[in-house]
Amino acid sequence: MKKKVGIIACSGESLVGGTLSRAAARILVEKLRPNNTIILCQPLFMAGGLERHGGQQERDFVKNHPTITIEGCEEECAKIAVDKYSGKPAATIYIQEIIDLHPELKPKSREDLGEDGMKLAEIIAEEIAKKVDELFRSKK
Amino acid sequence: MSNKKVYIIPCSGIGKVFGSIGRETAYIVVNELAKDKTALECLPLIVKGKKEVIKALKENKVIAIDGCPLKCSYNDLMEAVGKVDAQFLTTDIVKDNRSLKPEPSIIPVGKNTKQLAIKLAEKVVAEVDNLLEENMEMND
Repeated sequence: MKKKVGIIACSGESLVGGTLSRAAARILVEKLRPNNTIILCQPLFMAGGLERHGGQQERDFVKNHPTITIEGCEEECAKIAVDKYSGKPAATIYIQEIIDLHPELKPKSREDLGEDGMKLAEIIAEEIAKKVDELFRSKK
Repeated sequence: MSNKKVYIIPCSGIGKVFGSIGRETAYIVVNELAKDKTALECLPLIVKGKKEVIKALKENKVIAIDGCPLKCSYNDLMEAVGKVDAQFLTTDIVKDNRSLKPEPSIIPVGKNTKQLAIKLAEKVVAEVDNLLEENMEMND
C-alpha cells in the first residue's frame, strides 16, 4: 500500500486526554512514522460550510485513505465526525484505555503534560504506530 | 458584577504553531488573567453538538481564537451556536510583534510563542471586560 494513513486527534482543550491525543499525534507523525502518516486538522475536518472555506480536502482525504482517530475522552468526537462525513475510521485509539494500563504515569495537567505525561504520549504514539503498521500489512 | 462568563474557544489546530499560540492564549486567559470571568470548552465537542455545552454558549458571550485564515473556531461556532461575540487571529499578534518569531515547536511551545500568547491574552482579556460590561448594561 502506497497510501498514507490519516491521523485525526480529538485535540480537545478542556481535558488532559485532548492534550495527550495531540502530543501522541505529533510524536507519531514527526518521529515514529513520518513517511506513512499525515495529521488531519480535526477542526477543519469538522468545520461547517467547508466548501466556502476550502477544507473539503480533509474530508476527501479520509474518504480515500485509511484513517485512525485518537479519542481523548468518552465523547468520541473524532470518530463520530469521521463516521458522519467520510465513513468508518480504520481504527480508533482510546487514550483512557492506555492511561489505565499505566497508573504509574501521571500527566501534570492539560496545559503541561510534564515528564510522566510525555512518557505516556510516547507510549500512545507507539500504540498508534502499531495500528499504522497493521494497516500497511493488511493492504499491500 | 455579572455572573455570566465569557467562553474562550481556540481553534484546536495542531499542524502549525499558530494553533498553539491560540491554545496557550486560551489557557493564560482562563487560568490566570481572567480566571473568574472566563471558561474554556472543547471545539470538537461543540461541533459534535453536545446540548448542555451549546446551551451554555448561547446564554453567554463567546470569543473565538483562530490560528489561520480558515477560521475553524469562528466558522464552527457560527454553525453550531449561531453567534460569536468577538474573534482573534493569532497571525495578527505575530505580525504586530515581528521581533518575536514563533518557534516551530508545538510540543512544547518555545519562549517566543509563549510571549506572543501572553500578548494576545492581554488583548483577549480587554475584550472579555468589554463583553461583560455590555452584559451589565443590558441588565440595568
